Amino acid sequence: MIKLTNEDKLNIEKVAQTLKKHYGDHEDPWGLTIDKAQRSLELIYPFYKYYFQTRVFGVENVADKQYMVVSNHSGQIAIDGLLIGTAFAMEVDHPRILRAMVERFFTNLPFINKWASECGAVLGDRENCQNLLERGESLLVFPEGVRGVAKSTPDYYNVQEFTRGFYRMALKSNIEIIPVAVIGAEETFPYVYQAKWLAKKLGLPALPISANYLPLPSPVDIYIGKPVRVADDLSTLDTDHDIDPYIDEIEVTIQSMIDEGLKNRREMPLVNLIKGRKS
Amino acid sequence: MNILIIGASGGLANILTGLLHQSHPHAHITGVDSRPLKNDIHNPNFTFRKMRYTRSQFEKLFREKRFDYVYHLGRMSHVGGSNQQDIIKRLNLNLIGTNKILELSLQFGVKKIIVLSTHHVYGALSDNPVYLKEDAPLRASIKYPELRDVTEMDSLCTNWMWRFKDKISTVIFRPCNIIGPQINNSISQYLRSDYSPLPIDFNPMFQFVHELDMATILKRAIDDIDTGVYNVAPEQTVSLAKAKELVGSSHIDFPISLVSPLAFVLKKFWSFPDYLLDYIKHSCIIDGNALRRQIPDHHYRYTIDESLKLINL
Repeated sequence: MIKLTNEDKLNIEKVAQTLKKHYGDHEDPWGLTIDKAQRSLELIYPFYKYYFQTRVFGVENVADKQYMVVSNHSGQIAIDGLLIGTAFAMEVDHPRILRAMVERFFTNLPFINKWASECGAVLGDRENCQNLLERGESLLVFPEGVRGVAKSTPDYYNVQEFTRGFYRMALKSNIEIIPVAVIGAEETFPYVYQAKWLAKKLGLPALPISANYLPLPSPVDIYIGKPVRVADDLSTLDTDHDIDPYIDEIEVTIQSMIDEGLKNRREMPLVNLIKGRKS
Repeated sequence: MNILIIGASGGLANILTGLLHQSHPHAHITGVDSRPLKNDIHNPNFTFRKMRYTRSQFEKLFREKRFDYVYHLGRMSHVGGSNQQDIIKRLNLNLIGTNKILELSLQFGVKKIIVLSTHHVYGALSDNPVYLKEDAPLRASIKYPELRDVTEMDSLCTNWMWRFKDKISTVIFRPCNIIGPQINNSISQYLRSDYSPLPIDFNPMFQFVHELDMATILKRAIDDIDTGVYNVAPEQTVSLAKAKELVGSSHIDFPISLVSPLAFVLKKFWSFPDYLLDYIKHSCIIDGNALRRQIPDHHYRYTIDESLKLINL
């Protein structure tokens, strides 16, 4: 079991105290409880820091304001969501709980749903998100949805088509969008075939057939891009045709951040070990 | 002024009667219920009649008294039984009875009718957004047809309200869980019980309104609230686990996802209707802003913490 150092414990405590000033001691209406989120952070952080050796680039792009964080989705079991959430709590100057939007399927899962809601995750419903935005919360959105997280190996690092809901929500709230690219989460499950036909028959959002069912310790890099303002000349009433170019722009930005990030991708410790022996 | 309270033997009606006597001392209040009056009300301006509101003598009452305001608090609750006969009885009383009340109110020139529905009409579903507004679909009976009476009674009143809005004013309240020492609904029984299962696999959030706050809002409906449907809920929410802790009752930690399959065994020991289990599994959080806009000077007298602590008084 990977353990926290005393310094890590102190840092988490400091972050939790800051968050309590904002959220208070009570649960919020979506079920977020800072005490429980802190306990989860104490479990996740060792994996974030030592197992996935997460590096974060671009923290200077995050100011003390509300954002909609939009990221590529990867890693089969949404490990990227956990790592981005941890980064925005632990690494940025103004710690915050990113309210991750989750699939409807997820909210019906016993235990996982409870744990996720206590840590701040919420149902990815437009009205739900709008209510969170009105309360000044920052959101974490994966506009690729299940298509992004549940990819077969040949599609890794190819951003799938974005859905439009996030941009309409950002327009309505006039909130800035921060593009984020995650590199390394795909390799936590390096060889995957998505049995889409079987998943459909079983009523599951995805059914990955993988060489491993526990995530491998692939080093993860999180790139935080510069905030993007929503178009001034658009409104939520505009057609998809009007909005699509702006969504495409964000999609292209994240794809280019991924392509750039891949140039500096670190190998898995095991691969390094094998390479070292060969040389 | 003549006021009729249907469902007068309930705890909430009892408090409302007291409040109306204070605010309208010259009003004559008639209470009607198929059950006997629980607490005697010693006021010369109060009369209680034990009768079923589906019977012809009920029409006679309307004819003779010429009520100005009617409170319909007589929805038959889900406490007590969930077998086929109970469900049929509930459907009959809640739908046919309500229809009769609405027709008589219109026929005999009632100025305003105030109906107490429930937030249960929205249904406790895993994909409920947090803050359900009054225009959200009523999905309670999607999974459990046993809850049909709840949604259909509400829909009946809402349709009726718009249809006759020029002839009679109608106010429909959909309150969150009403609790208090005088209330004995399903959730109160659940909270008070030392043997109720507490979900360890879900994290439902709840809203509670104290009986006195609810009665105050009902009272104000006469003068201050316009025709419409209104959710009733304070802004504060609380998890079910915290609510049990505040009440001070014990519980049995249990994975609620296993309760439904075991319901046929558990219901022999536990009176909580199995089709209401989803209400202690998924959140059904409502938005009370429309009502706040109607009565901006109203402040909930009891916080959720206080309401829960006072439930056993």
